[in-house]
Amino acid sequence: MPEQLEVSMTIYDKIYKWLDDRFKLRELLPSIVKHPAPEYAVSNPLYCLGGTAFLCFLILVITGIFLAMYYKPTPDEAYKSVQNIMTAVPMGSLVRSTHHWAANTMIAAVMLHMIRIYFMGAYKKPRELNWVVGIFLLLTVTTFGFSGYLLPWDQLSFWATKIGTGIAGSLPVIGGYISLLLMGGNDIGADTLTRFFAIHVLILPIAIATLLGLHFIMVRIQGISGRL
Amino acid sequence: MAIIEIEQPKAEEQHSEPVRVRGLPFFPHFLLREVVVMCLIGGSLLLLASYYPAGLLSPADPFTTPTPIYPEWYFLYVFGFLKFWTFDLGPIPAKIIGVTVPMVLWYGLLILVPFIDRNPSADIRNRKIAVALGVIALLGILFFTYYGIVHGE
Ligand code: HEM
Repeated sequence: MPEQLEVSMTIYDKIYKWLDDRFKLRELLPSIVKHPAPEYAVSNPLYCLGGTAFLCFLILVITGIFLAMYYKPTPDEAYKSVQNIMTAVPMGSLVRSTHHWAANTMIAAVMLHMIRIYFMGAYKKPRELNWVVGIFLLLTVTTFGFSGYLLPWDQLSFWATKIGTGIAGSLPVIGGYISLLLMGGNDIGADTLTRFFAIHVLILPIAIATLLGLHFIMVRIQGISGRL
Repeated sequence: MAIIEIEQPKAEEQHSEPVRVRGLPFFPHFLLREVVVMCLIGGSLLLLASYYPAGLLSPADPFTTPTPIYPEWYFLYVFGFLKFWTFDLGPIPAKIIGVTVPMVLWYGLLILVPFIDRNPSADIRNRKIAVALGVIALLGILFFTYYGIVHGE
């Protein structure tokens, strides 16, 4: 490259060139950057619902990481640690409440997203499998809510979980196993709390990341359905 | 040493895009819009969080049952159905039906939707049955949710 051209390049051009020399950005970027968002999807807010759910998910990850730094998953400490977050930790109340609202909004957005998919017939060929992945996402998201509900270990958590595990436990054949697996015993106690914590912060995040990966790859490959 | 050849798209192929889509290019127009919408949603969540903070009742006490207790709102329909269904079906006890229908049967049905509905048309005018069933399902969920609220423990 001639000397004077090099001089007239801005810092961004230089960074771009440095990366381009190494990663062939020139070939990779256009398919991402120029990829058109179709007009029928851009102009209709119903198509926002999936993205809204995803935004809520990102907010949940960030606020959740902060909560995990102060939360203690044992019956003796759980309630006190949440109380500490609400009263003493700087911005703790805001972070926990945002986690709470983002969770409820995400579930509502996922349900409305699903209703849009259903009434627009967007699950039809070739998108059948993405609908199936979607149902697993719905299950994952509601299980997230269910497991998170117990963690503050207050009266509402405890008794709502009691109803929930009771209902799951009375399913024929598998009910007994499910309730043993969830509670780690015959009643809600210390084992249940550590299990719900592990489910909420380890198992479900891995599950949802995998499912979202599949979901988005399929949307990318198949495009958004709509009038052609 | 192995030599790998990668086929580059020919120049004329790049020009003859078969389907032209009207729309916004992802960058910057679409992304900018997304960022604005994301700020609005994020801002609303922060507002909600500051005006209606997440609650914390008294510590869990396994020996005193509070009344009334409700599950999370998105499980109310399961709870409501369980309360609603009080009759045995032949040898099957009411409770088994009450838990199996809203969880196993309902989710099984949902997963199968694309395989049950073989109608290829996505035009809502050609999908009267699917739309009717969808509306019935929605009304059912709303009804059992309401029933769950009214009959809380
Ligand atoms: C964590 C939950 C979910 C997230 C974050 C998510 C996200 C998205 C996004 C961003 C899109 C692009 C189009 C749009 O936003 O409308 C999409 C498309 C789609 N989603 Fe989801 N989704 C979720 C759950 C579900 C559920 C529960 C279903 C249905 C059972 C579903 C089925 C579909 C289908 C079939 C498409 C393709 C639609 C089309 O091409 O028009 N998704 N999803």
